[in-house]
Amino acid sequence: MKRINLLNIGRILLLLTAIVLVFIILGMLNTPGKVVAQSEDDPQPQIDTTSNLYCLSCHAEAYNPVPLPSGESLFIQIDVTDFANSTHDRNDVTCVHCHQDISGFPHPIKTAQTLHEYQLQRDASCVECHEVQANQTKDSIHGQLLSQGDPNAPTCSNCHDPHAQPYMEELSKTEHSEVCANCHNGIYQEYANSVHGEAMIKDDNQDVPGCIDCHGVHTMADPRTAEFRNSSIYLCADCHTNAAIMDKYGLSTQVLDTYVADFHGTTVTLFEVSEPGQITNKAVCYDCHGIHNILSVNDPNKGLSIKQNMLVACQSCHPDATTNFPDTWLSHYIPDKDKYPIVYYVTLFYQILIPVVLGGMAIFVLSDAYRRLRMKFIKPKPVEVAVEGEEVIKHD
Amino acid sequence: MTDHNKKYERFNIARRLEHALLILSFSTLAVTGLVQKYALNSISIALISFMGGIETVRIIHRIAAITFFLEGVYHFILMAYLLYVKRKEATMIPGVKDGFDAFYELLHNLGLRKEAPKMPRYNYAEKMEYLAMIWGYFLMGLTGFMLWNPILTTRIFPGEFVPAAKVAHGLEAVLAVLAIILWHFYHVHIKHWNWSMFKGYLTRHEMVEEHGAELEKIEKGEPEPEIDPVVFKKRMKIFTPVSIVFSVIMVGLVVFLANYEETAITTVPRVYAEVDVFVPRTPTPFPTQIPTPTPDMMVANTWDGGIDFVFEQKCSLCHGESGGLSVKTYSGIIQGGNSGMAVIPGRPDESLIMQIQAPGNEHPGQFSDEELERVRIWIVNGARK
Repeated sequence: MKRINLLNIGRILLLLTAIVLVFIILGMLNTPGKVVAQSEDDPQPQIDTTSNLYCLSCHAEAYNPVPLPSGESLFIQIDVTDFANSTHDRNDVTCVHCHQDISGFPHPIKTAQTLHEYQLQRDASCVECHEVQANQTKDSIHGQLLSQGDPNAPTCSNCHDPHAQPYMEELSKTEHSEVCANCHNGIYQEYANSVHGEAMIKDDNQDVPGCIDCHGVHTMADPRTAEFRNSSIYLCADCHTNAAIMDKYGLSTQVLDTYVADFHGTTVTLFEVSEPGQITNKAVCYDCHGIHNILSVNDPNKGLSIKQNMLVACQSCHPDATTNFPDTWLSHYIPDKDKYPIVYYVTLFYQILIPVVLGGMAIFVLSDAYRRLRMKFIKPKPVEVAVEGEEVIKHD
Repeated sequence: MTDHNKKYERFNIARRLEHALLILSFSTLAVTGLVQKYALNSISIALISFMGGIETVRIIHRIAAITFFLEGVYHFILMAYLLYVKRKEATMIPGVKDGFDAFYELLHNLGLRKEAPKMPRYNYAEKMEYLAMIWGYFLMGLTGFMLWNPILTTRIFPGEFVPAAKVAHGLEAVLAVLAIILWHFYHVHIKHWNWSMFKGYLTRHEMVEEHGAELEKIEKGEPEPEIDPVVFKKRMKIFTPVSIVFSVIMVGLVVFLANYEETAITTVPRVYAEVDVFVPRTPTPFPTQIPTPTPDMMVANTWDGGIDFVFEQKCSLCHGESGGLSVKTYSGIIQGGNSGMAVIPGRPDESLIMQIQAPGNEHPGQFSDEELERVRIWIVNGARK
């Protein structure tokens, strides 16, 4: 019985080959008959080979990655649950919307040598719908690195898995930041131990900044530029002057004003306003507080409210600074009777001295002006003025 | 007979030059200082840009400060010469009479007193301005150099002195500038234009009005007492070395204070110069290849013990549940497909699967030799579930 079956298969194969051969010859004689040949080749012509279902019939369980010439693996399995939850599937974006080169099986041969190259080719599809974001990215530090050919620079799909990307609003700050961590894990670990990162990761606090709150999403600028440094104070100030957020944690909202009033802040603000491309050596927020590793000012090891820690921070720019030096900075306080009393009383002294001196002067000046005007306009009693009187006598 | 147009010498050329230097340095200090105090005012921003940026403004301010400081040093030496060697009257020192002069002038201005007071060579208004100038000179010099050398300052004083110095320096500047505008400008420019600092003399009319007492003295014609040449020589012997030492110390001091301290580093170290910005996470976040179960023949030699996985990996792409052979389930594979029984328990050679998967057959989803051997043993052992 099995033998007959086998024989049958052999016969069918032979017959099919013969038919194909005939058609190929016919096709060669006539105009290229691609369509005809294909439909005859395919035993199930009714199936739509561009439907998601067709693609997923293989890719839902295609666990074996495709090896690329570079030795990297191109993963081709689509997690159906993730895909169904993705913004693409929810907006009826089908596989072939993006994979436009594919219209069935077998697929065209891939030309990409590396995974990065493959992803770059795929980015062309993203631009068609996400032009604004794509252009923003081109101007960003990531885009700049990409155009320089940096193989580590991220393509669209490095950050946004097109088969699983949910709506941005549905992601928590931690999830956003995890995306960055894929490539910037060193910085992410620093951040995770910071006062911000700890609150975000451990307590799911949405008030603290995640990566994109400071760096932007597609517009992330090169943080090594003077422009970034000079304007960085506003990254911090945006939240730290917002009473609605700061009051929850008992933090001062005077930090920007007191900084700007001081030597460092005045200079940096001026640079920001008039020469943003010029780097200044005056401290910005992160020079003292740290960048990704910002700690609470009360942290026993690094907190700036402890004088020794502050001195270390000062010394990073003022290497000769000694123990008294940190007190030259008013630590974002507005001086009063208890906090920085010398500054307070000096200010008070001048607040009294200036009006008293100028007021006294004004009395003399106004009285003199009054006499002169009276002399000019009210002539009847010229004798009253000693000067005139004297002159009259001399003339006699 | 008195000549009405007679001129009275007031300032010699050296004093007028001193004054010109003071105008220059004081105005420069005022402009470059106030734009720093009120730096974020839009006028200040425009002026700072005009002068070449804030760092340049600070350099200009310091040059003007040194000029101002040295002018003061010269003035003190000159005063020492006039008072000690020449034994001139200290005409700038205020006395009780100046208090009365001020009070009587106020009454006179208000029409409460007929006579205007007759005032000496320097009247109360000038004395006040001069003393304010001396006070400002010391205060601004002291606080200014504290701000210039904050590290040196904090080696001696508490740190808080520096911000206090900054407040005093700024507010004293405001006071000085406003006083100059209100008091000085009014008295010598507004009420009438006084040319004595440019032309060197006052007219008789001006003398009468502002220095009546001095005029009387001049008209009495009291000759200045001659100094005995021997006494003069004696005094010069003391004055010359002292003034030289003093000026050397002061110039040395200003050179020291202007160069002592490199307060801060000039180049900011690059942020994250030593930390790698690109640190990819390991393992990669991409889906990893599902690890192959350990090929433990005894454990793995059942459908559920791993054979199913071999089939799922290699065959399930095509042989799903859409018809024909299904490798999805144990019953599916035992049942076989359209071509017959894929697996005949105990008889690998007759099982269709072994024939299709025979090496060299190039069936899509070809088993590796090891997998083929596992499947063969599985079939030999009865293809157990």
